[in-house]
Amino acid sequence: MKRRKYGNLAITLFLAVCAVYAVFPIYMAVVNSFKTQGEMLKSVLTLPVKLHFENYSNAFHEINMLQSALNTVVVTVIGIAGIIVCASLAGYKLSRTPGKLSQFIFFLFIASMLVPFHSIMIPLTRMAKNLGFQGTTWGLAFIYIGLGVNMAVFLYHGFVKSVPRELEESARMDGCGELQTFARIIFPLLLPITVTIAILDLLWIWNDFLLPLLMLTNVERYTLILSTSMLFGEYNNDWSLILSSLVLTAIPVVIFYAFFQKYIMQGITEGAVKG
Amino acid sequence: MIKKYQSAVSLLLFVAPAFICYLVFLLIPTYGGMYYSLTDWNGLNRTYSFVGLGNFVEALRDDRYFTDSIWFTLKYVLFMVVLQNAFALLFAVFIESRKRLKTFFRTIFFMPNMISVIISAFMWTFVFSQVLPQLAVKTGLTFLDQSWIGDPKYSFFSILAVSLWNGVGYMMIIYMAGLQGVPEQVKEAAMIDGATPLQTFFKVTLPMITHAITICLFMTLNSAFKVFEVVYGLTGGGPGRSTQVMALNIYEEAFSNNFRYGYASAKAIILFLMVLIITVIQVNVLKKREVEA
Repeated sequence: MKRRKYGNLAITLFLAVCAVYAVFPIYMAVVNSFKTQGEMLKSVLTLPVKLHFENYSNAFHEINMLQSALNTVVVTVIGIAGIIVCASLAGYKLSRTPGKLSQFIFFLFIASMLVPFHSIMIPLTRMAKNLGFQGTTWGLAFIYIGLGVNMAVFLYHGFVKSVPRELEESARMDGCGELQTFARIIFPLLLPITVTIAILDLLWIWNDFLLPLLMLTNVERYTLILSTSMLFGEYNNDWSLILSSLVLTAIPVVIFYAFFQKYIMQGITEGAVKG
Repeated sequence: MIKKYQSAVSLLLFVAPAFICYLVFLLIPTYGGMYYSLTDWNGLNRTYSFVGLGNFVEALRDDRYFTDSIWFTLKYVLFMVVLQNAFALLFAVFIESRKRLKTFFRTIFFMPNMISVIISAFMWTFVFSQVLPQLAVKTGLTFLDQSWIGDPKYSFFSILAVSLWNGVGYMMIIYMAGLQGVPEQVKEAAMIDGATPLQTFFKVTLPMITHAITICLFMTLNSAFKVFEVVYGLTGGGPGRSTQVMALNIYEEAFSNNFRYGYASAKAIILFLMVLIITVIQVNVLKKREVEA
């Protein structure tokens, strides 16, 4: 019994050490973001002597926080809404229609799930330029729809199988059109998988770096992550400024995590198991 | 007959919005990339000519930077697949066995995953370049004072440390869900029959979560081959090109060095084929084992 108690303690201790590792960079970034450059050089490990909030106002200004955050929100919202609307329609219909044509289209959707983004980024950039999508916020959002829709179709397709057909049949009997039946009866029933898809895509689009880097040329259109990355390249030794902008960029995500932790973890597991 | 025709039309109408977006931004670029990979297109000129498999031969035979990046990526993939899954599973098992601290540890361990990879890389750049050297001086732990980012000997491990920091939590969540699916009675039965905790884990628990293992290995493999942001943010592929990964090599070939789109496309196809082959092998091997178990 005693041995078991020590074993238990050792495990907790081990987890605690690893937890320190998990928190360390974030803690260091936050603590030092309030210091001046000089104070950092002298004592990087201690708490700040005085809280220099001006670092934050500088960073807020330098990364164009309000505009960048707004851009990110717009891209993310249009992207997710588009993915959900398009993919739920397609996934539902493909799942309900028997036959070769339906199977073939579904196969086309899932055939490309293994293609790495880096393998298509060159022609994609070209395509976006030709269509006039490059450099615009909505253009970026549309590209996310195109890239995200296959996974979502796959998830909806699987989920629809568990939805009983009787409901839609009786709705059709009562004279509901096909689209109306879908919008009124089916779509609400798909809510669990819709939440999963929304969360997975939110984390993906919000945190994405490479696609905005390739698509956005105008500072006014930058997403939050892109603004901060550009700042890092530009002032790569001004740590007061960089750290405070890193913290500003991370805050929305951490708040989101604090409130929706349960749903995020559920979403990840659902997405992984079905995917 | 009319009924059949109608149902095909309604199918196409429902599918059209998704399919058009998908076609334009994923399917056409995929085939476009394959097509370009056979040409010497440089992105600027309107004209280009076919060079057959010339780009592939050049990439694999003459381009030392690219072949180095392949080896570096493979090394990274190997370390990531093993370490990420080992740590994730270890944490999952340990955390599941805690009572009061379970939620606390799960929250902490998953948090780094919320932060964008590129932002994580910048945070760690600060830790490696500013914090660790001072920590070494103040605590006397001199081994901490290395050129973590500037020295190729260490930068591989720095990249690994950041990737694991960022990625382990995600896999841990999936493993935890898998572990929760293992019925308590089965484990208890094994214990009553005299199995040690270690035996119970390897003989009872592990076979029952093979599905989670398949998923996690698949996801780690897939994402490790595509590694880009960590390296871009931490070392930029340097010093020199010693930490360049495939995705970064492709990116630089296409967008920052010489705009050889055709040539870069060929490299991109090589990356795709590698991911495809290894994933197919992995899924087949593990699926077989899953059935047996």
